[in-house]
Amino acid sequence: MNVLVPDFDFHRVFIAPWTENLASFGWITLMGFLVTATCGWVGNFLILRRMALVGDAISHSVLPGLAVAFLLSQSRGTLPMFLGALVAGIVATVLIELIHKKSRVKQDAAIGIAFTSLFALGVILINLYAGKGGVDLDQECVLYGEIAFVPLEPMVMVGGQILGPIPVVRMGFVALATALLIALFYKELLVSSFDPALAVSLGISATFVHYALMGWLSVVVVSAFESVGAILVIAMLILPGATATLLSHRLPVMLGLTLLHAALSAVLGIHLALWLDCSPAGAMVVAGTLIFVAAWIFSPSEGLLRRWFRARLEAPAVGSS
Amino acid sequence: MTDAPPLEIHDLTVAYHKKPVLWGIDLVVPRGKLVGIVGPNGAGKSTLIKAAMGLMPISSGWVKVFGEPVKKNLTRIGYVPQRESVDWDFPVSVMDVVLMGRYGHLGLLRRPSKQDRDIARESLDKVKMLPYANRQISNLSGGQQQRVFLARALAQESDLYFMDEPFAGVDAATEAAIVELLHELKARGKTLMIVHHDLPTARSYFDMLLLLNMRVVAFGPTNEVFTHDLLQSTYGGRLTILSEVAEAVREKG
Amino acid sequence: MKRGLQLALLFFGIALPALTGHAARIGDLSETNIAEQALRFFTFQDPAVRYALLGSILLGITCGLLGGFIVVRKMALVGDALSHAVLPGVALGFLWNMSKDPLAIFIGAVLAGLLGAAAVHLIKHTTRLKEDTALGLVLASFFAVGICLVTMIQRLPTGNKSGIDKFLFGQAAAIGAGDVQLMAVVTGLAVLVILLFYKEFLLTSFDAGFARAAGFPVQAIHYTLMLLLAFAIVIALQAVGVVLVSAMLITPAAAAYLLTDRMHRLLALAAIFGLFAGALGAFLSFLRPNLPTGPLMVLAATTIFVLAFLFGPRHGVLARWWRQRSSAARIQRENTLKAVYHVLEAREFKGEGVSLRELAERRRETVKDARQQAGELRRHDFASLQEDGNAIYLTPEGWQRACAIVRNHRLWELYLTNAAHIAADHVHEDAEKIEHVLGEEVVRLIEKRLNYATRDPHGRSIPGLADLRRGASPESPASGPTGYGRSA
Repeated sequence: MNVLVPDFDFHRVFIAPWTENLASFGWITLMGFLVTATCGWVGNFLILRRMALVGDAISHSVLPGLAVAFLLSQSRGTLPMFLGALVAGIVATVLIELIHKKSRVKQDAAIGIAFTSLFALGVILINLYAGKGGVDLDQECVLYGEIAFVPLEPMVMVGGQILGPIPVVRMGFVALATALLIALFYKELLVSSFDPALAVSLGISATFVHYALMGWLSVVVVSAFESVGAILVIAMLILPGATATLLSHRLPVMLGLTLLHAALSAVLGIHLALWLDCSPAGAMVVAGTLIFVAAWIFSPSEGLLRRWFRARLEAPAVGSS
Repeated sequence: MTDAPPLEIHDLTVAYHKKPVLWGIDLVVPRGKLVGIVGPNGAGKSTLIKAAMGLMPISSGWVKVFGEPVKKNLTRIGYVPQRESVDWDFPVSVMDVVLMGRYGHLGLLRRPSKQDRDIARESLDKVKMLPYANRQISNLSGGQQQRVFLARALAQESDLYFMDEPFAGVDAATEAAIVELLHELKARGKTLMIVHHDLPTARSYFDMLLLLNMRVVAFGPTNEVFTHDLLQSTYGGRLTILSEVAEAVREKG
Repeated sequence: MKRGLQLALLFFGIALPALTGHAARIGDLSETNIAEQALRFFTFQDPAVRYALLGSILLGITCGLLGGFIVVRKMALVGDALSHAVLPGVALGFLWNMSKDPLAIFIGAVLAGLLGAAAVHLIKHTTRLKEDTALGLVLASFFAVGICLVTMIQRLPTGNKSGIDKFLFGQAAAIGAGDVQLMAVVTGLAVLVILLFYKEFLLTSFDAGFARAAGFPVQAIHYTLMLLLAFAIVIALQAVGVVLVSAMLITPAAAAYLLTDRMHRLLALAAIFGLFAGALGAFLSFLRPNLPTGPLMVLAATTIFVLAFLFGPRHGVLARWWRQRSSAARIQRENTLKAVYHVLEAREFKGEGVSLRELAERRRETVKDARQQAGELRRHDFASLQEDGNAIYLTPEGWQRACAIVRNHRLWELYLTNAAHIAADHVHEDAEKIEHVLGEEVVRLIEKRLNYATRDPHGRSIPGLADLRRGASPESPASGPTGYGRSA
């Protein structure tokens, strides 16, 4: 192909994937949905706790943990990966605390220093070892993930039934676990996010909730990492929650809207990627961004249009009084 | 019910970033009193109630609530924080906030029951906020937000209440309603410790006053404590030495 | 915190041997290669080396300077967001004529950066979303658009060879003559603007409210700074890459922030650190082909930061630990002096020497400990030892110090009981701590406040100036008011 933006061919973009290539596109779309939904749920709480950029930091910091885990175990097994990422996530949290408690560097700079250093370390490790010892983790995977290769992964079979490719099944479990954890600890999460002092006076340790959330965030980020890379994960964490915030004032509704956003951005994203022939993970985020922008403009309660109309309605009233 | 006093503080010192903000606090609060905590800015009023509830680490001394360490009696404590301490854009309804007052009684994994909802509804009714139960909290006025916080404290069904400036920035009607509510709670044998900013009203609102300026200047019945001399030594600048030494402790500690 | 440190050490204990082990293996295979490359680098004969080095130095200086403002304004994460947001601009600049035209890429990236800044501003002011969410949104969504464009460009026949992917993690070796020219111009411009408007930048960074009241165009200054920030990010792109540019802004400046208390020194140090990190990163990446430059520069900057963090003369961890240790030792000495004073006081200052056994009894410890502390006093010229080593005599300095400490203690007790109305049986513990931190001025204030009282709440005499002059000799205690303040 010699043009940047290929001609829009309705059949190729919208029909063919579902009629001719359902197996692979189905898995990719499902994976995109699971990643965005899971990240989005955790992200809702990050946004409420004003910790959106801690998500940024953690998602960068898990890289050296993954690299070291791959090197030590010489495999891409699930357990070493989770352990490596968990350790790296904790190291990042500790380093941030260490820098800003033991020196006069403020927290924002401490976050910036810790995660860029860890990320740089990770990139160098990967570059030194790329392609060696069966470790096929490379720069592209770090940047925009390999969601397109999901259908090529080995299938998980249960009782002769195909359950799905390994990453999808793994992400499915993480998604279910996330939903379960949120349901079980909903009130602890809610009160410690809204009013940490009250939480402590009720006997709920805000510090514990904080570290538990960070730990689970590392797990979610790792399971999303292979598909969407270290940086697009941030978009998956923030976009759904931010969009939901613009559309509702109720947390349960927002969690539902997060699912909707995830489904829409996965489906629209895959078609966008097919049309433009670009990175599917990137396209899913672009689709999610478009949905956010739409909510920003058209939100019935507080969209830009609504604000504009209200300002126009009120202006003459102020003038006459 | 035991005979232990609701709140007993012994030799409490609290430091913030190594700089002492409360110094050698000794206090025994009797049951069923409405106590106002007054003092100038930076006197450590909010710090005192936070330290008493275990929300802040203390440098020395101890606090007992109904004769036991605070952690053991958390469900008997109710708390009304300063209104600015939370994000009022938070996606919860008035009812959700009041239900949070019940969380301490629920423990892990349990959801609020029908009974908890009834208690929350009654509490809202007492502060005349029941019609707003399903509103999102950002749509409330300052006085209404304060009433929601009070309702939440009521739903906690505690015996000892700490309130941090409940009268700050509320309308006259709310202020009157709050005073009425405080007296009603007192009549039911509850003990209330209230951080208060306004001296003239302090005299009429409270049974007892705690004059605070880094240390307890005086604590006793309002008519005994509300004297020119004591107020002078609370608000007067005579304690510059104490704050200078606090600064020295921070630098060299 | 200690456990955290151990964890961190453990982590690097795993990572570092892995790195060095590998390096050793490479060394076996191609030792001459690395040495040759190093030689090639240091002779500067290769124009590619000269450009790479020059470019790295320029970007280090610009990033350091701008980073100084970013760090003191607590905008580190704004820098991060902006640096990711330039990616689509880079890609579009690249598309301009399908080549790596420095000017087109520069313009595209600056525009994207400014658009990103505007988007953050808009989101913050027209929605309920908070700043951190707005930053994260812009960072990730701009980056995603960039990733889409980059993958689209790479698919093109010309795009594949173009090296646009080098903009992600940086490649100093790809810097050409045109890049260096542009970088020099932009660096010169940034330095000039900062020099011209230094006072405005300083004032708005420190106290925007005051600046606004004083009539400064705070908003315009803020946007000028954002523009310069975008400049710095863009010239660093080629060598550091989009992903890690923010580190070159934050880390050198944060290291400088640990070392100095003055803004102009901070900026100078940050520029020097940036320069070093840039040059070192360029050199290291030159040793092995295919190592991205950005991460190496970032790790070089991190090393500088860690050194400043540990060894900074005033704010460093080591210096602080040392200060705490020496302050603990001083408190220990002062307590020993106080004990000597108490022994002397108990026998109404008859006889000058104090035996170590008396001292040990007083302090409720062993004679061995007392001997060790006596030695400590002797080393600081506060006391001399009897020949057999069993008794100590205070020197005049030691006597003065002992009086001062006892005086501080008793004055503070009196102050707490009289002025702060704290019960007399509560004040001792507090005075034990405060006696070591009271300065001369505060002592005078307290004396004045207490009307130069001579007795503490427990009825003991407060040593005054006359006691100091008298020395530790058996004379009658001075009478009447004896405050330092009165005689001064």
